[in-house]
Amino acid sequence: MKLNRRQFNAILATSVGTMAAPVPLLGQAKPKVVVIGGGAGGATAARYIARDGKGTIDVTLIENSKTYTSCFFSNLFLGGFRTFDSITHSYDRLESDFGVSVINGYATEIDRDQKAVKLRDGSSIAYDRVVVAPGIDFDYESIPGYSKEAADLAPHAWQAGPQTRKLHELMNALTDGQDIVMLAPPNPYRCPPGPYERASMMAHMIKTKGFKNSRVTILDVKPKFSKQALFSEGWQEHYPDIIEWLPPDIHGGVINVDAKAGVVETDLDTFEGAVLNIIPAMQAGAIAKTSGLTDESGYCPVDGASMRSRIDNDVFVIGDASIAGAMPKSGFSANSQAKIAAMNVRGDLSGSKVFAPKYGNTCWSLISAENSVKVGAQYSANEQGEIVADSTFISATGESTDLRSLAYRESVGWYSAIVADMFG
Amino acid sequence: MAKAKARIKVPKTASAGEIITIKSLVNHRMESGHRTDKDGRAIPRKIINKFTCEFNGKPVFSCDLGTGIAANPFFEFKARVMEAGTFHFTWIDDEGIKIEARKEIDIV
Amino acid sequence: MNSTRRKLLTKGASAAVAAFFCNGKSYATVEDIHSVLDPPPKRDNNVGDEAGIVKLFTPEIAENGNSVPISVFVASQMSAEDYVASVLIVAEGNPNPQVVTFHFTPLSGEAKVKTRMRLAQTQDVLAVAKLSDGSVHKTSNHVKVTIGGCGA
Repeated sequence: MKLNRRQFNAILATSVGTMAAPVPLLGQAKPKVVVIGGGAGGATAARYIARDGKGTIDVTLIENSKTYTSCFFSNLFLGGFRTFDSITHSYDRLESDFGVSVINGYATEIDRDQKAVKLRDGSSIAYDRVVVAPGIDFDYESIPGYSKEAADLAPHAWQAGPQTRKLHELMNALTDGQDIVMLAPPNPYRCPPGPYERASMMAHMIKTKGFKNSRVTILDVKPKFSKQALFSEGWQEHYPDIIEWLPPDIHGGVINVDAKAGVVETDLDTFEGAVLNIIPAMQAGAIAKTSGLTDESGYCPVDGASMRSRIDNDVFVIGDASIAGAMPKSGFSANSQAKIAAMNVRGDLSGSKVFAPKYGNTCWSLISAENSVKVGAQYSANEQGEIVADSTFISATGESTDLRSLAYRESVGWYSAIVADMFG
Repeated sequence: MAKAKARIKVPKTASAGEIITIKSLVNHRMESGHRTDKDGRAIPRKIINKFTCEFNGKPVFSCDLGTGIAANPFFEFKARVMEAGTFHFTWIDDEGIKIEARKEIDIV
Repeated sequence: MNSTRRKLLTKGASAAVAAFFCNGKSYATVEDIHSVLDPPPKRDNNVGDEAGIVKLFTPEIAENGNSVPISVFVASQMSAEDYVASVLIVAEGNPNPQVVTFHFTPLSGEAKVKTRMRLAQTQDVLAVAKLSDGSVHKTSNHVKVTIGGCGA
């Protein structure tokens, strides 16, 4: 059977209808939406639901940090291209301009039977729909010898904030002849090109300081990585004696990390680093698991047509915590998914129109000054509710400096735009 | 040119007659001579062109490298060990710069 | 008579491959290399690999031509009388096709090497092995070099 778009949408609307009973709760108290996590996904979802709900929906955002420091562009801070302040943002306007209640606290669990979100301080907040956007948590045990405590000495800096500052501090204390050792994480993880952009920024710092004998060694658990040919070309051109990438068939596997001694032991040899940047395996933010929203992958299965949890119809999961088919885990993806979830939440609660989703993503990576490469795609959901790429694009090797500079400026423009989209 | 660091993996022990696996990695940019700098001038070739591995003075494995070997040359190869002794590794580049490393092995 | 003729031919071929494997000798072009390897495989000069003793492992698709994993294995008992002397790796489409020549001895135990090479473009990669008896065996793989387009 072949459906045209209208028939397909009609079926989609019916199935969503029977699943979610979109009866506007008129004459009753305003419907309540709780958003867990104030990152690129959560902040966007909260703002869109509140803004487009025009006062008819109560929106509460629960976020553990008082300010938001973006993971995207945090590598540019490490490389000296951005200040820490320029990647840190306030939640104030979500409250003042859009009427979102922002609660500074840590959500520990969703009581899905009672439809309430529990906080660490013992309080709980009732919801009609909950948007789960907790980002990622780390599987510290994925690396022998590493732990949450060891992360103070050998930061992952894969959640922006104090960890980013810590890594920056260690990098700045580097002297000529001392090395940086990075452990790159296994798939799937937040920001696939991120470790390699970071290595570029580390090398840029080493080069800028005029060091002749310092190296950045990337010990990877993956045999290949995102935009590898582009990074490889850029490293050969800009940092030929600085960056060394070692896949598992060369280093033979990580045996132990000693954060205190500053060494990583692999089957091949022991690597000493004055700076260790250890990025462990990742999984969905803790609350996704404690609330029973994850599958065996550690992430949350969703219907790609709506970002609705496949486990609970009143729950939406967006961003890094979700299994979003072909979409990589990125701030751009989370922001894109948040708008689809927001549309569906409003459809559920106020009967507003719901359309077939269109998603987008672009990952820019800065290799050296004014030299960015990018990879991206447009996505939609197929009939099985999986997110699939409709068209993709990627920078080419051997591109002109003008094109790379244009890509850099495009990324800077995107940064301003996404921050405005998140916080107003 | 940054310091050249050689990394070698040889098992600490083997039984007599055992065939062991050796891994070697050395930092070198392996400048191919095929690239140009940003002013369009050719960057001169500078590669490691010879790698040798000897055991107690006898040749075990060696190779002649061309410009098609990737930066930071890596080789994984085999050796048959009949007695305790020392592996001696050398890398020589186009300018005659020699990097050396040694690893001991015992027979159990 | 027959056996003498074969011996002569083998000797002739051996002289050619000896030149081919001569240390430090560079072959500027693919034609140079082919001039040694061709005429194409005949039992008489043993160029070819009817016995299937040369195994070359390369990825079908290399997403990064700057670092392509490659390994080669030549089946041999590696005894003092019968061993693999050398293996040459040729990348026909590289500016300098002669990538590397490995030299083995009976102490190598096994003629098995893993390394990483550069591939300038999609092309055939050849492994040419010379045994201690002077026979030559070769095999080749096609490797597609593309720029990886996956975001993840």
